Amino acid sequence: MPFTAEQFGILAEKTLHFLLILKKDGKIITCNNRCEMLFPFKADEIKGKYITDYIIDADVKIFKDSIATLSDQNAILSKSLSFATEKEGVLALKFNLTYHNDLIYAAGIDTTEEYKEHRALITLSKLTKTGAWYYNPKNKEMFWSRGCYLIKDLDPDTPMTREKGASFYPEKSRKNVENYLDNLIKYKEPYEYTEKIVTAKGNEKWIKVVAQPVIYKNEVIYVNGTIADVTDRHNYIEKLKYNEETKHLALKGIQSGLFDHLIEKNEVFYSIDFKKMLGLPLDQDFVPEEVFREMIHPDDVEAALKRHLENLNKEGNHYYNFYRLKNQAGEYRHYEVHGFRRKDNNGNTTRMIGNLIDVHQKKLNEKTIAESKNRLQAIVNNGFAYTVLLDIEGRILMTDKESLKIIKRDSKIDPTKTESFFIDVMPLNFKNSFAHSFNEALKGNSIKKEVERINHNGNSQWLESKYAPVFDNEYKINSILVSFHDITEQKLAEQAIKEAHIKEQELSNLKSNILSNFSHEIRTPLNGILTISNLLLNNEPLEDQGQLLNYLEESKDRLLDTMNKLSNFSEIDAIHANLTFEELDVNYLVETSFIEYKHMAEAKDLDYTIELDEACPQTKIDKNLFRLALNNIIHNAIKYTSKGSVDISIDSKSLEKYIYIYVKDSGIGIDKKNFEKIFDPLVQESVGISRKYEGTGVGLSLSKRYIEILGGKIKLKSKLGIGTKFAIIIPKCL
Amino acid sequence: MNILYVEDNKINAMVMDKMLSRTDSKVTIAENGSQALKVVKDKNLDLILVDINLGLNQMDGCELLQRFRKLDILNNIPVFAVTAYAMPGDEQRFINIGFDKYFSKPVNFDKLLSVISSIKGKENKTS
Repeated sequence: MPFTAEQFGILAEKTLHFLLILKKDGKIITCNNRCEMLFPFKADEIKGKYITDYIIDADVKIFKDSIATLSDQNAILSKSLSFATEKEGVLALKFNLTYHNDLIYAAGIDTTEEYKEHRALITLSKLTKTGAWYYNPKNKEMFWSRGCYLIKDLDPDTPMTREKGASFYPEKSRKNVENYLDNLIKYKEPYEYTEKIVTAKGNEKWIKVVAQPVIYKNEVIYVNGTIADVTDRHNYIEKLKYNEETKHLALKGIQSGLFDHLIEKNEVFYSIDFKKMLGLPLDQDFVPEEVFREMIHPDDVEAALKRHLENLNKEGNHYYNFYRLKNQAGEYRHYEVHGFRRKDNNGNTTRMIGNLIDVHQKKLNEKTIAESKNRLQAIVNNGFAYTVLLDIEGRILMTDKESLKIIKRDSKIDPTKTESFFIDVMPLNFKNSFAHSFNEALKGNSIKKEVERINHNGNSQWLESKYAPVFDNEYKINSILVSFHDITEQKLAEQAIKEAHIKEQELSNLKSNILSNFSHEIRTPLNGILTISNLLLNNEPLEDQGQLLNYLEESKDRLLDTMNKLSNFSEIDAIHANLTFEELDVNYLVETSFIEYKHMAEAKDLDYTIELDEACPQTKIDKNLFRLALNNIIHNAIKYTSKGSVDISIDSKSLEKYIYIYVKDSGIGIDKKNFEKIFDPLVQESVGISRKYEGTGVGLSLSKRYIEILGGKIKLKSKLGIGTKFAIIIPKCL
Repeated sequence: MNILYVEDNKINAMVMDKMLSRTDSKVTIAENGSQALKVVKDKNLDLILVDINLGLNQMDGCELLQRFRKLDILNNIPVFAVTAYAMPGDEQRFINIGFDKYFSKPVNFDKLLSVISSIKGKENKTS
């Protein structure tokens, strides 16, 4: 039963539908009252108004195009149109357009809420590069939102099927992707995956696909899902991964025990070399910390762990630890760890990259070196000799205790605290001998030399010095061991014997020479006398006898002359024949004499000093005669000085070929008139041969004579009551 | 018999000459080594007597002997040392150097003359 016109009218006003009758050009014929929401006029003012004047511009074309397709054969059409209203804003209506007798009957419902949501979703999907899709397994319908098309660079009008959708995946992943969907339909479990696609324009993109089933009566009736373009994120992650891999590759490549400890994950990455050292499987990148800990020597674990925790909590980024680890041969070796710690915002160490170094050999070497050093020290401290170990430049590396004491006392330098050259802490008269021997030792020769020094008590000390080069493993000299053995007693005994022997020999030679000469000188005239007497006794003709008597007289005179000579025979002539000239160190010579009279000067409380010459001049001289001469002068200086000073000095610089030795006193002085007298040779006449080696009291004249014999001179300056200055001038060895 | 006596002391040379002249010998005196070396070339000698000390800075008797020994003409001619060096060991020293006989001064003429006459005897036998 059809509606009556009245019934229909009521229905038209009561419905939620917006009802309009339009001409094909959009002219509104009539509408229900609800349509007043759409237009800025009343329903009864509708005449002559066109719908196209009130819908948004984008919909005008849609409306016109849709209307044009309507015909008797194609009479019904669905379209959404949005109205820009004054009161309600934009209202979106979905219309059912029916064409009948050249009129269009339009019935629309308000879909504004859905429309808004839809627009927002579209905007969101655009912004997040996300698309939505659904799939109906029953009728195989596949729907893609615009976002899906955008991601695939595809025209949104392209009809979509499941096969078409799958075609964007590369062949090898396509099967997997299809399986995901099939499994979802079968097992009703949601899924998500990230895969690579190639878009319609041929671009490679990474997409993340999420799918969720909608179940009705325990059957999947359709599938909802989203597709998101995650290319940027994927590339970023890949890049990170790549960097990480590069780093690990780099770590693997370095031939050293490198590790990367991710503390939060409790994973340690080890380089190949690291694994080789410890015998870890090479194909395993990460080893849990506990496993590693088990490899540490049981005795070291506790301390190592303690250090480890301290390290993690301390300031800065450095990490240092050491322990023994079991290597692949099952032996424990010493290792050191040097690392760099990375911290998070709270200052907790999250990661550590470091180097594990096998220091076993180093440890052993350290031990060996320490042992060798002890051994060396034992050798050095052997108690017999003074021993000093020098580097090749002459710096003191090590000394025995006794030498150290002497060096400290004499030079006020402590070689254990200050870097010192041996030559700087030794007595002046050692230096020449040292420099020469040291250089010889540097050439690889072992040198043995005897040296004499004056010790702090003023006594002469003889040392046998030995210089032994010390070679390293490559037969290079790396140090010189110098030792001094005290041979004073032996030397003094030797010297005493030698001197006694020489003295005896000299005296004996002298005696026999004198005897021989006198015998000759007596026998010669005696020969004449006896022969003449023989001739006279044996009938010599008378005429020759007078002559013979004259000869007799002459021979008698000569004999007498010889006897006179004998009484005048002087010691000096004998000395000449008995001199031994040798090259000597003047500093040493003078210092020896100086020391000899020290006690005498000290007893008189005199200021008694010596100033040696740093050039260490040498002279060629008879030691004994020179000492006699010098000793006389020093002895006299002290003897005639009751207070003040006696100063001895050596000067080799003022004259090119001679050396001055000055003995200056503040004694009574000598009157100029007596200058000659003190050197009067007559004084010498009274001195007998036997006094040659007696040191004192022989008089200055002898000193003068001796020095002259040695090729030198003595000069004198003096003022009565002020003092005297003797200058001994001796030739210099150049 | 020709005898050369090398002696720097004139008195000793003179008295030796007188002594030897008594034995039928002809004595030539040389005062020093160089004179002696000239004489030995000119004269046909039977005996040479040499003093050792021939004065300061002069060739001594020992050196002169060495020179003589190099001369062929003096082969087999005896050379005696006549010297005032008469300390123990001196005789041996001079004999070792090469002197045929050693006579110390003052000269023992009994001994010297007997040696000379024995040389003369030998010569007479051989000639």
